[in-house]
Amino acid sequence: MQISSKELIILIFIITFIFLIAPLFLIIYIFLYNKKKAKHLEEKEVLKKTFELELLKSQIEVQEHILQTIASDLHDNIGQLLSLTSMTLSSIKADHLREEKINTAAELTQRAIKELRQLSKKMNGQELIKKSLGHAIAYELDWLSKSLAFDVQFKDNTTHSISAHADKELILFRLFQEILSNILRHAQASQIKITIDQTKDSLSLCVKDNGKGFVLEEKITAGDGLGLFNLQKRTLMMDGNFIINSNPGAGTEIQVSIPYK
Amino acid sequence: MQAFFTVNTTAELICLLISVFCLIGDKNKYWRALVLYLFLVCIVEMGGIYLRLAHKQNYTLYTCFLVIECTMISCFFYHLYKKYHHKPSLLYSWLGLFLLIYTAELFNNNFSNFASKTATFMSVVFVIASLYYYMLILKDEHFRKLESYPPFWIVNGILFFYFGSTACNVFFDYLLHERAHSLSLSTRYITFNILNVLLYSCWSYAFICRYRQRN
Repeated sequence: MQISSKELIILIFIITFIFLIAPLFLIIYIFLYNKKKAKHLEEKEVLKKTFELELLKSQIEVQEHILQTIASDLHDNIGQLLSLTSMTLSSIKADHLREEKINTAAELTQRAIKELRQLSKKMNGQELIKKSLGHAIAYELDWLSKSLAFDVQFKDNTTHSISAHADKELILFRLFQEILSNILRHAQASQIKITIDQTKDSLSLCVKDNGKGFVLEEKITAGDGLGLFNLQKRTLMMDGNFIINSNPGAGTEIQVSIPYK
Repeated sequence: MQAFFTVNTTAELICLLISVFCLIGDKNKYWRALVLYLFLVCIVEMGGIYLRLAHKQNYTLYTCFLVIECTMISCFFYHLYKKYHHKPSLLYSWLGLFLLIYTAELFNNNFSNFASKTATFMSVVFVIASLYYYMLILKDEHFRKLESYPPFWIVNGILFFYFGSTACNVFFDYLLHERAHSLSLSTRYITFNILNVLLYSCWSYAFICRYRQRN
């Protein structure tokens, strides 16, 4: 059977058409596969983030538990011992000269008991945060003002606490403690301004000092920014934002904001 | 003058203009080379029309251009594969093989016909190269937004053109002499019009994506 010219041309057209359709379907398939890949990567990222968050949460829980144990040990054991010492001192009857010394020792013991109770309370973050984040920060600053001469300004603009987010508040409080500790150790500042703000769906903390400041890139390059990196990591784990503004000689400003609704 | 502006040449000229606008300031030499390549495509196409109008054979021009076409597309594929740690020896081996087949066919034809078998072989290799590139994309763990990924659209154009032209290349000798019944132009010419429009549309889109990503 012989194929006519017309039939052959039609055949060529059909083959060409099929040869055009095939790549089209192939490209569509690649698009779909690529979209699946994107979804898979997204899911993987979410899983990774959830895992890291869980890990961080358990680390914080362990840390909090240890602090709580130390706090109760201090309060119950050493506190009791100091109370006994105070009682013993007050029961001693001595001559005038010795009485004065004993009274001084009893007074010092009382102060030690008071300091110990405050330290124990400070360490027990969950107890502190029970009232509010603002209260916890105020307590921390009160402790600071007793030991060091700083001009500290604290503004609490929060309106209400959400009990479901107590964990987040505790992490934010621990972040604040770390930022404050960094300022005391490295910043050589004389003034610290702390502000906590609350909006409809976020809670933010801003700590500003007038210390020596630094160049962030240099810190990171020198491998000296591990503390800052940890602060940032913990903020990101809560889906929050961590911003540092610092210039040599112009102090440092750290802003942490976390979802809170 | 009107004869010079066919569907083919118009598509090529538009693509050249877009490439000049989008790629002239590109940092990558392979992308910049596409501007020069498209310029040569337009020159060859115009030259081919001029020779046809002067009743002279134009297959020599297209046969010579085959070398430029193969070199450019092969180098571009090499550039795309380079990200996946491919060695230049593969490119040199392929170009060597191409030149061998090309020369053999020219001698076999006594330099009196278009090197259609070499063109068919080249088309098959480019189709395989395109499919291999797709495979590399799928295997790559790094996600890319393909809708606006310029190399992907360059390869799409290449695949459409060379895969679609396979049937015409296979029946080249037959189509050279046969004319479509109701149309004054040959089947090959119509098919290549469609393929060229597809190729240059994909390439123009790729150039625009490249330009937008650069800025």
